Amino acid sequence: MTDDTQDIIGDYKYGFHDPENSTIRFDKGLSEQVVRDISELKNEPEWMTDIRVKAYRHFEERVMPEWGNCALLDSIDFESITYFLRSSNKTEKSWDDVPDDIKNTFDRLGIPEAEQKWLGGVTAQYESEAVYHSIREDLEEQGVIFLDMDSGLKEYPEIVKKYFGTVIPHSDNKFSALNTAVWSGGSFLYIPKGVHVEMPVQAYFRINAKNMGQFERTLIIADEGSSVHYVEGCTAPSYSTDSLHSAVVELIAMDGAKIRYSTVQNWSSNVYNLVTKRAVAHRNATVEWVDGNIGSKLTMKYPSVLLKGEGAHAEVISVAYAGKGQHQDTGAKVHHLASNTTSNILSKSISKDGGRSSYRGLLQVTPKSTGCRSKVVCDALILDSDSRSDTYPTMEIGNSTSDLEHEASVSKVSNDQLFYLMSRGFNEEAAMGLIVNGFFEPFTRELPMEYAVELNKLLELEMEGSIG
Amino acid sequence: MMYHQMPIPPRSEHLWRYTPWPRIHPTKTDDVPSADDVIFSNDGPQVLNSIQPSQDSQGDIARAFLQAAGGSSSQMSLNDESEPIHINARASGHVAVGHLHLDVKGSAVVFLHISGEPEWVGLHITGNLHPNAHLAFGFINELDSNTKFLRCEDWQLDRDSSLEHATLSVGGFRCKSDLRTSLNGTGSSVRQSITVNADGSRHDDKHVEIHHHHGHTQSDLVMNSACGGNSHFIGTGLLTIAEGANKSDASQVFRNLLLSEKARAEAIPELEVLADDVSAAHGAASAPIDRNQLHYLMSRGLSPEEAQSVIVNGFLYDAFSNLTNKQLLEEMRTRLTVHLECELKR
Repeated sequence: MTDDTQDIIGDYKYGFHDPENSTIRFDKGLSEQVVRDISELKNEPEWMTDIRVKAYRHFEERVMPEWGNCALLDSIDFESITYFLRSSNKTEKSWDDVPDDIKNTFDRLGIPEAEQKWLGGVTAQYESEAVYHSIREDLEEQGVIFLDMDSGLKEYPEIVKKYFGTVIPHSDNKFSALNTAVWSGGSFLYIPKGVHVEMPVQAYFRINAKNMGQFERTLIIADEGSSVHYVEGCTAPSYSTDSLHSAVVELIAMDGAKIRYSTVQNWSSNVYNLVTKRAVAHRNATVEWVDGNIGSKLTMKYPSVLLKGEGAHAEVISVAYAGKGQHQDTGAKVHHLASNTTSNILSKSISKDGGRSSYRGLLQVTPKSTGCRSKVVCDALILDSDSRSDTYPTMEIGNSTSDLEHEASVSKVSNDQLFYLMSRGFNEEAAMGLIVNGFFEPFTRELPMEYAVELNKLLELEMEGSIG
Repeated sequence: MMYHQMPIPPRSEHLWRYTPWPRIHPTKTDDVPSADDVIFSNDGPQVLNSIQPSQDSQGDIARAFLQAAGGSSSQMSLNDESEPIHINARASGHVAVGHLHLDVKGSAVVFLHISGEPEWVGLHITGNLHPNAHLAFGFINELDSNTKFLRCEDWQLDRDSSLEHATLSVGGFRCKSDLRTSLNGTGSSVRQSITVNADGSRHDDKHVEIHHHHGHTQSDLVMNSACGGNSHFIGTGLLTIAEGANKSDASQVFRNLLLSEKARAEAIPELEVLADDVSAAHGAASAPIDRNQLHYLMSRGLSPEEAQSVIVNGFLYDAFSNLTNKQLLEEMRTRLTVHLECELKR
């Protein structure tokens, strides 16, 4: 790595990049032909090509969102992005078969090690497509399907056709249209009735090339009475030009099923992270989003849950760290569409060095959904005078039998807490670090152990030099 | 910018999300009807002078419309006033518009009662609070239940001034209020209480903006609504703390009590904080009447209607509890009690 690159990267741990070694690379820019070419290259069924083309046309027609950080959104140059890049010709099942340079990357990210230890399954995506994928044999025997999305479409077209785009239609927003048009990779996970996947299932997404768009598409279906925990991590090297990550994640929890989806997003600070994540929870189902946002230049991500069946429950725990030049526009949306549904949202954010964090949430109770309960808590810490924190919550309550609460606070680190810790022998920086770790603790305790350790380390790195 | 040059605001702006401009405009949006005057009167010695209304619309379509529509325009200068001042605003006819400006240099208590049976009424209230001025302002909306009502307020607070602002909103069929306060001087503070009792198919949309432009400023907003029938209440708040406005202290609380199955309420208390050494918090809650409270009161001999009325009264009373000016507090609570008793007898 050159010194210049190091300057750009700073302390960003995953800022390395391997020499780009692609087997197929599309020209920059987007057109209907590019969309058709991606579909043809993947040998997709005609119905998928049609969906892609329809989505592309919608993307072209749809205006940019008129809310949020419009200045940053308008600076995205869709013509300078590469929409498809294949790094390896096939998805490898054995770690030994993965090309060396990609393997090096994932070794540095700790993927195989994690799998050897205890993870239920792993898929790793490099640029546009999955390059490594593995699932434990006992899960395979139980009928669990865990594939990259392209393989899922090839091997289980009927399931994909039934559920694809049902939770997030291509017309949902401009970026879901873009994703539907050019999606590549992502995870396809199906848990049969009554199967409980004890170990977390993991995916890792990495952008390596410059001006690259990553558009993974994830579809998780937990059939009746099943349960699964899916974990996702994201990194990218730092370049002076920007990359775009625009994923679509659809979760479907059938009656009595439980899905927990954990993410720690640590994109480098030149990535636009514009993601649509939504789940449907049927009767007595539970969906939990555990969402950490540390990296990226601009993140706009509002994990949502449609509580469609009576007794369904949604839980969203999210943290955001906005450092220099970053805007973390995150939040949660819960739609209570059935009676006696419940939800909890906990959001925590820290702004530092001129960073901006925004909570944007929606809590909706429809007129016919009686007896719903919900609680939303947002806490924000601002660590210096250049930073900013916003809260934009919305509560729409359509009937008189529901009980909803929202509370939010914005403050700086308490001098009393700092003083207390420093009187116990910590220097100011260590004391501040402890307080920040404690502030995020309700989030980290919900993560698998290795991710929690990782998150704490990342925060430590980010917090370095925060005093004085 | 003049009204005709302005685009219709999109619904993505939360100010116009639930009551879009075409729904509150008296006719069609490209029309500016010739407005009758809202008649302001005052029984006391203070003089209401006619003035030219302000031409600063702040880029807001509602303010620009009220300026374009004309109507009456009055100003009252207030120094240290020993007795509360009651200003009556009477509206009638098809479309009526009034502008009122208060220039406050001492301590005063002012009540503005708006009543009448116009089809549509628009009111633009502006106020300047000079250094060390203190104003307790009560707004009582007792318009006819078929009236559409648009109300805009702009308050500018200078150093060490304070505004206590209370609203009792019980009249009108469709109401849209956009109330803005700027804390421009160190030590300035605003306490704002809004009480809404909605019934039938009443639609009441209250938007409150409080901008902390300076440090050591304080704001406190409480908005309580009780919604019955098919009514719909919307409370949106925007609280901003500017860069460098350290030691600002701001809080917003929105509470909705839903009394019937078809009543609806929305709460959007927004915060934008650009300074670090501040205390800013907001809370929102929405719930039905507690059955245990109803049961307790009914076991003491109250009918279900009386028990509900007692609970609603207590709930709405509570919105005024952050007020410190006794005259303002008592007058607002008295008005509220009278209104609820009349409701109960109906």
